[in-house]
Amino acid sequence: MNARTKTSSPLSKLFEIYWLLPMLVFLIGLVGVAMIYSATNGIWGYGAKQHLMRFVGGMGLMFVVALTNIKVWYALAYPSYIAALILLVGVEFVGDEVNGSQRWLDLGLMRLQPSELMKMAVVLALARFYHDLPRWRVSEPSGIIGAILLIGLPVGFVLKQPDLGTSLLIAATGVTLIFLAGINWRIIITTGIATVVAIPLAYTYGLKDYQKARWKTFMNPDQDPTDAGYQIIQSKIALGSGGVNGKGFTQGTQASLKYVPENRTDFIFTVIGEEFGFMGGLGTIALYIMTLAVCFWLASQCKHIFSRLLIYGLATTFALYVIINLAMVMGLAPVVGVPLALISYGGSVMMTVLIGFGLILSAHLHRETELPRGSGLLL
Amino acid sequence: MKGSDNNNIPSMNRRAALIGIGGLSVFSVLASRLYYLQIVRAQDYKVLSDKNRFNFNTVIPERGRILDRNGVPLATNKQDFRVVIIAEHVKNIDMTLTEMSKVLPLSAPTKKRIKKDMKNRSDFIPVLIKEHLDWPTFSAINMQLPDLPGVVPIEGKGRSYPHGGVFTHVLGYVGKPSPEALAADDDPLLKQPTFRIGKTGVEQSYDKEMRGAAGQLKVEVNAFGRTVREWDTDKLEAKPGKDVWLTLDSELQIYAAQLFGEESGGAAVIDVMTGELRTLLSMPTFDGNLFVSGLTSADMQRLNGDPRRPQFNKVVGGGYPPASTFKMAVMLAALENNVISPDETVNCTGKITLGPREFHCWKRHGHGPMDMHDALKHSCDVYFYDLVQRMDINMVKDMASKLGYGQKYDLGIGGQNKGILPDPKWKEARLNDSWRTGDSLNASIGQGFVQATPLQLAVMAARLANGRQAVLPSLLISEKLPEPQDLGINPNHIAFVQNAMLSVCERPGGTAYRPGSLGIPGALLAGKTGTGQVKGISAAERKAGVIKNKKLPWKYRDHSMFVGFAPYDEPRFAAAVLVEHGGSGAGLAATYCRKILKKALERDGMVSNEQKQSGEL
Repeated sequence: MNARTKTSSPLSKLFEIYWLLPMLVFLIGLVGVAMIYSATNGIWGYGAKQHLMRFVGGMGLMFVVALTNIKVWYALAYPSYIAALILLVGVEFVGDEVNGSQRWLDLGLMRLQPSELMKMAVVLALARFYHDLPRWRVSEPSGIIGAILLIGLPVGFVLKQPDLGTSLLIAATGVTLIFLAGINWRIIITTGIATVVAIPLAYTYGLKDYQKARWKTFMNPDQDPTDAGYQIIQSKIALGSGGVNGKGFTQGTQASLKYVPENRTDFIFTVIGEEFGFMGGLGTIALYIMTLAVCFWLASQCKHIFSRLLIYGLATTFALYVIINLAMVMGLAPVVGVPLALISYGGSVMMTVLIGFGLILSAHLHRETELPRGSGLLL
Repeated sequence: MKGSDNNNIPSMNRRAALIGIGGLSVFSVLASRLYYLQIVRAQDYKVLSDKNRFNFNTVIPERGRILDRNGVPLATNKQDFRVVIIAEHVKNIDMTLTEMSKVLPLSAPTKKRIKKDMKNRSDFIPVLIKEHLDWPTFSAINMQLPDLPGVVPIEGKGRSYPHGGVFTHVLGYVGKPSPEALAADDDPLLKQPTFRIGKTGVEQSYDKEMRGAAGQLKVEVNAFGRTVREWDTDKLEAKPGKDVWLTLDSELQIYAAQLFGEESGGAAVIDVMTGELRTLLSMPTFDGNLFVSGLTSADMQRLNGDPRRPQFNKVVGGGYPPASTFKMAVMLAALENNVISPDETVNCTGKITLGPREFHCWKRHGHGPMDMHDALKHSCDVYFYDLVQRMDINMVKDMASKLGYGQKYDLGIGGQNKGILPDPKWKEARLNDSWRTGDSLNASIGQGFVQATPLQLAVMAARLANGRQAVLPSLLISEKLPEPQDLGINPNHIAFVQNAMLSVCERPGGTAYRPGSLGIPGALLAGKTGTGQVKGISAAERKAGVIKNKKLPWKYRDHSMFVGFAPYDEPRFAAAVLVEHGGSGAGLAATYCRKILKKALERDGMVSNEQKQSGEL
């Protein structure tokens, strides 16, 4: 095995990539191109073209990442985490404000969302942390504190931007990894109870006014039918009026007449639901589930903890993206500004998601590779 | 080290399975939510989606026209040329307005208003630049359009009265619905900003017929309210209103209005067989078009300040003493009640005495002996003073009623005055005083309490001319004419009165003697003059010598009246003319009436061109 890995040229490695995953990803991306095309009233240059180009470019990047040895990513886990943390802090000072929160870092050529990078960096760092940590220390105070620090720092900075959605996403992914790493059930149960108690307190003291307003609007959208509530109402009308089979491609009236705001980006699922109905919506969900199932199966094939946790973590982030977005669009969660991964228009998220899939493919491709268990930086 | 890894993996697999199951259940929650929205609630949301998508715009129907008896339009819908500007297509508003000013001068305040309106409204809502443009300006703007981005020329429809004021008192005019009209009528049309409703006259009384029914246009609108496209389905064409045909002969009425010139008064011409009004004119008048586009305060002041009261419909609404035109009624009352033989003479010395009062004849030194025929021919007042004393005043009243005094007619226009036919009961109720002989004497010459409208005088003339039927005036051409009522007057008595009226016009000594004045061979005019006193003449004034009417201030001068019909042998038209403060009846009113009747007969085709030419030769 070792010998084969060593002698493999990048080209021959390309054939060993688990092709089902890139194919599913490509399929989802194409759905995105089609739906953006429809949401922009069939004008190719208003997003669909850019989406396709970014997507194809991103998939190229994905393969580069996939073919790169997992040892490299293992080695880069902590440095990338630190780099992302620095960018997050940097955004505090030089970031551009969009919708009242600083999230963007203008790098000239592209605008970077450091919080996006952080989602991946946290997974890398935690995967390495648990890979390096002796199993018996997972539930020890030192193991717990290390993990909490790794998660808590970025969550804190992202929350300060303020970006509640992303910080919750990072936290949830982190907690999932702690769980998978094997922390004992006693701690899980006590923390679970503590969290339930803490949520009302967090709502009262931790949330900004606009975040509270979003929450209230979500709870009762009809009270505010012109603003954010309007968005949810129109979103539900778009989905509901699609019925079983939908109104047909580019025939969605809610979409073409612009009744659903942001339907090229966060609310793109309304276009799918309106134009392809329940069948289209269910099909899209099925594509995501298949993608995730493949990821979980790939994880189970990996020999070492770093690769497994890396795949689980990235897949969880991806799943959370999709779940939060769908719940929001269907009126089951507040409007938090999470795009529908791979389908929504928007470069930054697409890049990180595709790099994430590159990492997953790399982990699987190098599943037999021996990884050192270096004494980590944080130990 | 490896050992701990391997120990870890089975537990991780179990936990991953748990996460997977959790994830799957979350996705099933989402899928069932989708099922609920798209299948359970689909119908509700489809309705909401259509409600979002479609607007139903009201389409205003074209208002029915008002036509004269020959189909000449009296009220029509004229193209109204407007230019609007749509902000979203404007590149540089100042440049566009400057460019615009080259073809359509715009004042600085107008430019300011346009810019303000553009700022205050959504980008796609048209802002009015100017309306009521003439065609040359409008077409010039059309030529310049390439240089005027955002400017849109629009052709609309507006009510128009092509003859200016000549028919205004009959037609009325249209205007924006009043709040009362909006409350009383739930027709959605009334809520349309450009809709106009009939305010007065025929426009008001036949408003429902002319209005038509609103159409509906189904349009698809986007989230910003902009119309994206029109839909053919669920489209309802606007049903245009019905045209209203009037009995009027527009050319005759225009001719009559020209005769009046600056004079004030009214004229009515009636077909003596059918009662159809060929002319119903009140002068001076005002241009109904002014009211359509909104009256300026200067126009308003001019109308209200005019002592000749242009807005007052005198021909149906003015109550005037009928003066000597009332004498036919007194005569017929006497004949029908056998109170006097027509041959019996009364000696006119210029006045009679009644207790302390003297009642004067218009002829200061008297007419001498007068029989009934001559009394009308010369309009001798003393004869009628004598006559009325032999009668009950109710006899006069009843006869006047039969002839058409003291009542309103179903013309479909408002503003009618009933006039006054006084009797003791009326005086008791109105003035709380008993009837005196002097009241009868005044009434016998159409003065005192008696009041009539020019329309009523025309109806009387028509009934006298017809002789058999109580002609009813009508203004609207209808398929079914009102069943003519029997007049109920002895035809011999009618013939006697007709003959006396002929003498007035065609025999020497008649008060309006101008033989052959119709200028139509064989067509003779029968009529009666009337000179309505506006100001009483005191004994002192009479002693000092009656002041010539023309020297009095306008508003104290007598009203000039004339009623007549023609041709005498085979009556066709009857007419009444009243000229306010126009002096003696033999003057302006008689002159106008002759000319109007002549024209009416010519227009009716009674006179062939040949006859006309031989007459002129």
